[in-house]
Amino acid sequence: MLFTYKRGMSFQMENTMIQVQNLSRTYMKGMVKVHALRNISFSMSRGEFTAIVGRSGSGKSTLLNLIGGLDTATSGHLIVNQKDLTSMKRMELAHHRRFTVGMIFQSFNLIPSRTALENVSLALTFGNVPGKKRDLLAAALLSKVGLNTRMHHKPGELSGGEAQRVAIARALANHPVILLADEPTGNLDVKTSAEILDLLVALNRSEGVTVLMVTHDEKSAGKTAHRMIQLQDGRIIHDISSRGPQ
Amino acid sequence: MTAVDLAQLALGNLRRTKLRSFLTILGVVVGIGALLSMVSFGTGMQKNVTRALEDNDLFTSIFVTRQKIDFDAAVSGDIENAIGSFEKPAPVLNDSVLQSILGIEGVDMAFPEIRFPGKIFSFGQSAKTTIQALPVTMERFRPFNSLLYGTFFRNDTCRGAVLNHHVLRELKIRLSAPGAHTPLSTEDSLRGFRTMHPDSVIGSEIELITTIVDIKKVLQNPLQAVTGTQNLPVRESRLRFRISGILPPESGFESGRFNAGIFLPFHTARSIPRMGFASVWDLLDSTPENAGYGSVYVRVQKMRDVESVAASIRAMGFGTFSIMDQLKEIRQGFLILDSLLGAVGVIALFVAALGIINTMVMSILERTREIGVMKAIGGSEAEIRAIFFIEAGVIGFLGGIFGLGLGWIVTRIANVVGNHLLSAQGVPHVRFFHFPPWLLLGALAFSVCVSLLAGLYPASRAARVDPVKALRHD
Repeated sequence: MLFTYKRGMSFQMENTMIQVQNLSRTYMKGMVKVHALRNISFSMSRGEFTAIVGRSGSGKSTLLNLIGGLDTATSGHLIVNQKDLTSMKRMELAHHRRFTVGMIFQSFNLIPSRTALENVSLALTFGNVPGKKRDLLAAALLSKVGLNTRMHHKPGELSGGEAQRVAIARALANHPVILLADEPTGNLDVKTSAEILDLLVALNRSEGVTVLMVTHDEKSAGKTAHRMIQLQDGRIIHDISSRGPQ
Repeated sequence: MTAVDLAQLALGNLRRTKLRSFLTILGVVVGIGALLSMVSFGTGMQKNVTRALEDNDLFTSIFVTRQKIDFDAAVSGDIENAIGSFEKPAPVLNDSVLQSILGIEGVDMAFPEIRFPGKIFSFGQSAKTTIQALPVTMERFRPFNSLLYGTFFRNDTCRGAVLNHHVLRELKIRLSAPGAHTPLSTEDSLRGFRTMHPDSVIGSEIELITTIVDIKKVLQNPLQAVTGTQNLPVRESRLRFRISGILPPESGFESGRFNAGIFLPFHTARSIPRMGFASVWDLLDSTPENAGYGSVYVRVQKMRDVESVAASIRAMGFGTFSIMDQLKEIRQGFLILDSLLGAVGVIALFVAALGIINTMVMSILERTREIGVMKAIGGSEAEIRAIFFIEAGVIGFLGGIFGLGLGWIVTRIANVVGNHLLSAQGVPHVRFFHFPPWLLLGALAFSVCVSLLAGLYPASRAARVDPVKALRHD
């Protein structure tokens, strides 16, 4: 068994995977101050599948980048897997990106000059997996996402669905507890989108990996996610659980 | 991530952009090639000069002069002191002084320098040249211990003579290599040269003509002797010698302390009737008080004795000159030469370094998204910096290795061409370039260091790439 995740213990604190407290992110766009996120707060439990929806510029991707440790907050607290990202040094953030979260993107962000296997293997390299094990492990990850045959093809030779599967395999490489997906189906046709979403759901269910997915497709989000958070102008305007509003 | 992983990533990146990597490395190759050629030329020259000095035994030689010349005062511009040193009455360099010098510890031999002009007749040709007297003990030392043909003279009183190679040319003789037919060049045959076998030159007679004052003429017309330059009261003295040996031609760098045309046994030469001056100045300067030798050549047993022996001689009131005095200046001179030559190479390498910076910055611009991806999947700033830094180091190392190769090839070609041009002028083969191990290792290390320095900025720029911007979906 490749992936085993430490299951949450009985009490609440252990079960909280992401805790966002009064989080704000502002940046300067030329001379204009942009409030990408305005003082938002919410929390997510271990094993949850949450979709963040909203229009362009509502702050969805900013939130995802903050949780992913690619960006730093202007104010507030962001506790992921019981560690406060807002007080982390750059080296610790790199460690967070490497081992705590796995990210997938709308445009896949695979390295075009490397084969599917090599793309996955690169993540394992950063994860300090010894050289000999890397290829075996990368192949196993690719099989897991249903890509048994096209491992030695470069991204340019893969279909969108296949490329996104490679990206998912890469995101899973270093056993993350959270999978962050930024518009994972944005570049895919309806059928392939459904397949990718099914894969994410399967991973969430079988591996217990917490999934936070940014999408503008509320319809499919509603079908797949346990919970849907809607952002508008950097604020949460709706937070709907499939079990009812939270 | 291990160092091997980082190196593999760096090499992979270079392999992916083969042409660009090749061109960048080529820049370093040219830079290191230029640096190596230039500096190896400097060290080659230095080695040639030092060896020439050693070959001429100049490191164990002291030249003693009557006047104690204050070189330091002259060099530092203290003209009065420098001139004053000439004006003080100088002791006479005579045989008793010679005996005292021989008594100094560490002195191997000492003999006065006797040189005078003369004319030689042989093989139907004549040549004007300088005659130098040498004791038979010089047989042990360069260049007389390695004669081209024949032997040194047997003793200090015989009628043997050692000919310098260049005199043969003046006598229009070209020696044929033993056992080989050496045809004359068209130019040489037009000038009336002829080829002779060394065996037939050795043992041949040579007539030496020197000029002596004709007492009879002086007595007949005493006034003319002091009024005109025409019909000076001189006559010729003719003596016959037998050629015993021939000195090899000097290599282009030997300064030639022994550059006289013909060397004769010491006592024989001393007794040759001649005018005791080589120039009008000597004549004007000759007074009964300063009769004696003009200079004395002293040989010490070991290089380290030079300083102490020279000091003892100076204490006797004489002036000394040894190459050791000049060695420091020579070394400084070569340091300047090496620096100037090296500067050309360094400029070439500097241009190559700009090439590295340019290539790597371009590469970072192209690979911004890739760097963003690496950061997103957990690459730390230190690792990304290291990947680019190693790339620069690899460029420097490969450029350095091939640069050494290029430098070697260029210097080989230059050596062949240079020697070809010089051999037309009769200069023997010279090795212009010298590659001491420190130069090779130094050039390689320099190449890597310069490249790493060039990689500093691009590497830190790569490390600072903002992943959010780099990964933004366009």
